[in-house]
Amino acid sequence: MSIVLRLAWRNLWRNRRRTWLTAGAIAFSTILLVGWVPIQFGAYDIMINATLRVFPGHAQIQRPGYQDKQKIRNTINNAESLATSLRGSNPLYTGISVRAQGFVLLSSGTRSYGAQVVGVEPKHEGGTSSIPGQVKEGRYLSSIDAQEIVIGRALARNLKLKVGDEVTLLGGGKDGSVAAAILPVVGIFKSGSNDLDRFFSEIPLHTFQNIFSMGSSAHTIVIVGKSVDEQTKLISALNNAISDRSDVIVLGWEALIPGMKEAIKIDKVSGFIFLGILIAIVIFSILNTFLMSILERTREFGLMLALGSRPKRIAGLMMLESALLTMIGLVIGFVIGTALVYWAHVEGMHYPGVEELAEQFNLPDMSRIYPQMKIFNFLLGPITIFVATNIAAWIPILRIRKLEPVEAMRTI
Amino acid sequence: MKGQSLSLLTTLGWRNLWRHPRRTFVILFAIILGVWFMIISAGMMIGIVEQQLKDTIFNLTGHAQIHHKKFRDDPAIEHSMSAPSKELLAVLNSNEVKKWSSRIRLPAVVTSERESRGVTLLGIDPAREQGLSFIGKPVVAGRALESIDDKGIIIGRRMAEKLETRIGKRIVLMMQDKNNEVADRGFRIVGLYQAELEATELAYVFVGLKTAQKLLDIGNELSEISLLTDSRKDLESLVTSLRVAAPDLESMSWQELEPLVVLTMEFYEAFMIYWYFIIFAAMGIGLTNTMLMAVFERTREIGLFQALGMRPSYIVGQVLMETLILLIIGVALGNLLGWFTTDVILANGIDLSAFAKGTEQFNMSSTMMLTLRTNDLMQINILVILLGLLASLYPAIKAARYIPVEAITRT
Amino acid sequence: MSTVTLNKVCKIFGEGELAVFALRDVDLEINAGDFVCLSGPSGSGKTTLLNMIGGLDRASSGEITVNDQRVDKLNKGDLAEMRLRNIGFVFQAYNLIPVLSARENVEFVMQLQGIATEVRHQKAIDILKEVGLSGLEDRSPSELSGGQQQRVAVARALVSEPALILADEPTANLDSVTAENLMDLLRSLNDEHGITFVISTHDKLVMSHARRLLKMHDGKIVDDIQQR
Repeated sequence: MSIVLRLAWRNLWRNRRRTWLTAGAIAFSTILLVGWVPIQFGAYDIMINATLRVFPGHAQIQRPGYQDKQKIRNTINNAESLATSLRGSNPLYTGISVRAQGFVLLSSGTRSYGAQVVGVEPKHEGGTSSIPGQVKEGRYLSSIDAQEIVIGRALARNLKLKVGDEVTLLGGGKDGSVAAAILPVVGIFKSGSNDLDRFFSEIPLHTFQNIFSMGSSAHTIVIVGKSVDEQTKLISALNNAISDRSDVIVLGWEALIPGMKEAIKIDKVSGFIFLGILIAIVIFSILNTFLMSILERTREFGLMLALGSRPKRIAGLMMLESALLTMIGLVIGFVIGTALVYWAHVEGMHYPGVEELAEQFNLPDMSRIYPQMKIFNFLLGPITIFVATNIAAWIPILRIRKLEPVEAMRTI
Repeated sequence: MKGQSLSLLTTLGWRNLWRHPRRTFVILFAIILGVWFMIISAGMMIGIVEQQLKDTIFNLTGHAQIHHKKFRDDPAIEHSMSAPSKELLAVLNSNEVKKWSSRIRLPAVVTSERESRGVTLLGIDPAREQGLSFIGKPVVAGRALESIDDKGIIIGRRMAEKLETRIGKRIVLMMQDKNNEVADRGFRIVGLYQAELEATELAYVFVGLKTAQKLLDIGNELSEISLLTDSRKDLESLVTSLRVAAPDLESMSWQELEPLVVLTMEFYEAFMIYWYFIIFAAMGIGLTNTMLMAVFERTREIGLFQALGMRPSYIVGQVLMETLILLIIGVALGNLLGWFTTDVILANGIDLSAFAKGTEQFNMSSTMMLTLRTNDLMQINILVILLGLLASLYPAIKAARYIPVEAITRT
Repeated sequence: MSTVTLNKVCKIFGEGELAVFALRDVDLEINAGDFVCLSGPSGSGKTTLLNMIGGLDRASSGEITVNDQRVDKLNKGDLAEMRLRNIGFVFQAYNLIPVLSARENVEFVMQLQGIATEVRHQKAIDILKEVGLSGLEDRSPSELSGGQQQRVAVARALVSEPALILADEPTANLDSVTAENLMDLLRSLNDEHGITFVISTHDKLVMSHARRLLKMHDGKIVDDIQQR
């Protein structure tokens, strides 16, 4: 066996330049594949994690039907006690907070705008949303019943409000009554998401419940886990936790931001198609190498046949050669590709123009993209290339079986 | 002298290609596939941005707008502009401007029996909006606004769903009027419009221009004038005329109004070039390899050329010519295939309606139209041919460097 | 006036211990119109000598003059130019460009020389007639016999009106009848056109046709015989 191996190996190096060029082409495509998938998936991860982390969270507990039509009447009773019972009950949950939401007209002295107002638990909201940490002027809300409000940067600008100014809220309460209040602006936040900065404001939960006559009810409980990868575990744990209640359901992030999952799917599918076509081009590109190398050695094969070798043996030798050749390219490509990915992992990748684009698509700051390091990602590419290239190489090899010794040796 | 040799090189190049038809076909296929792929990619990426651009312009932006100097920063009622002056009207009614219209555009809150939402109110002149923006298109239910005095309101179909209301019902519009008071009035929904994106339908409600002016008590004042010309390029001279005619107002082209779309286009155009290089790298190696093989197996023949007195530069030229012919055929067929794919097979775009929510996320419509610009095609073709020639330079120079006596005696 | 002059020309292959002297201090003068044969066993240096004269290879030392030009001092481009204008080659085999027809092969050099289409067309046909290949102009090399291929090569060598034609074992792959015919052709061309011929061979038939016979051994010219 090892003799055949040695023979195959030496045959490869008879034509150094061609071997290197072909291996180079294979290495090139391997680098692309090895590098692409982790980075692409890494970008998705960032996109998802970042978006969820800003406000929606990984999952929410709500009353059925609330997600579709956010009616202020559709509340969860005793939301805070439910949240408290969940907190600390499972290491999967890293943050849990209660929220209530409503639509109001905000008026400053000279301007009025429609906006969403969210009642939050200042102590816990930081665990589920990045907004408390993105207050650029002033400070975040202090206590659960303080008479304070924080608003988004663009909203503040439209209303011509500064920290310290007062803003009037006007909306409809849970019981249909008028909900009104005047609150001082204590902080202005910039989340990076256009929607949030333009249309959102936050006040303490109890203050909200007071204004909107909600009693002790709220609209959603937000849960954040360690990472999106643990989503299934998170959802089942939550489902267990609320199994004794029939009035609420658990919604995963796919239900909270349906567009995102599909957007990612489109991107993944198109990415695979694109890469597939690229690989096909590479393979056609190097097909000639395999074709010609077989053709060139026709005389040699004729000689081998005349000396008593069987066609199968010769074909087998050729297959071994092409397998070795592919391996060389794969290994080189793999090493370089992995190195690149690792470097990107450590350094993050910077894309000029991404910040502005991200803002437009309502995604928070994504200027640094970290590739996803998962074994499957790394190996999928090389394996595909190995299989595809060798199949291409075998097409000319199979013709060896039909060779006639004397004719073969007459070839120039 | 050159002419003679050129035809000689061409003859040699052409006939040499067909000595090994299978080999030529294989590399040709790689080139065709590569060029086709470049064209399709360009078509898709540019198509996406083009669509966005068109939508943005049609989405009330227009080719240019005129408004109060402070309106863009702070779109409030106190930053309304007066009705157009004589000079401004002269520019607006000139040949350069195809269509124009005045509008009220201000923030408002709309309340139905069950729900409230923040929106932007558009007070429009329905007749003039036709062909200017999407609201000029027919409505999907009920009727369109008929005049600037129309007392009805048009809202988006999906907005009606969110507000849990329908045609015939009343909704209340609350706005800040000139005197800083909250003005409110009930309107009957007379029609529902449909836009490509849900976000649009939830953002805009439409009433008659004069109705809005009366509601806000601002007489003849407007929020903006939007206009359309023949082409979205070369707007500088028009914008300058507008600025001269109305120096106290701000006139802006769509590029200034929506810099993000411009940025996206530039981003994609830059990205395309990188992508072309990657695709070329994929087929380039095969090209170099194939030409290397061709040169190698013709070593003796090249030695003969040298013996007969062919200069080294001609030998380089011969190899390059062979590659050039190959590239031209490949590029031509690739272009043909690409054109066929974009203009015939995918003439109606790629249907992504199964991923509707996803495309919404990217501000894309659910049908992806491919757009090919002459510029892109030229870029691709020139790039492939130049890079292809570059790729075959190495084999060509190698051939020229052969030492005649070695080349001739090679077995 | 000599067409070709060699002065103390040496050619060494390899280095140090493996050095081989293919040519040792060769002095030679060939006059215009000469019909010279280089003979000798394998390894005697006749092919190397031919290559030196034709500028296909470079001497390790010494001076080579062809038509008053110092061949050893020319660069690659100028050497090619010299070969184009002054020298014709006939090799043992693989003389023709496979993708060109016989006529196109003959026209090849004229095309490189920049001669007008009509002129070279006619000249090619005429010269092919002269070497006895009328009617075979449009055949490709693979459709011609060995002897016919050599005649096309001769035609091509002739048509550019060189000062010198160098032939390296031109009859090696031919049967005796064809070889005889080829040599007759070459002698008659020499007589009629006055072109200098230098032919390397170890075929006695060829040697018998020579007017001047140079015998070589181990890189040196050991005998210079005037025949016929």
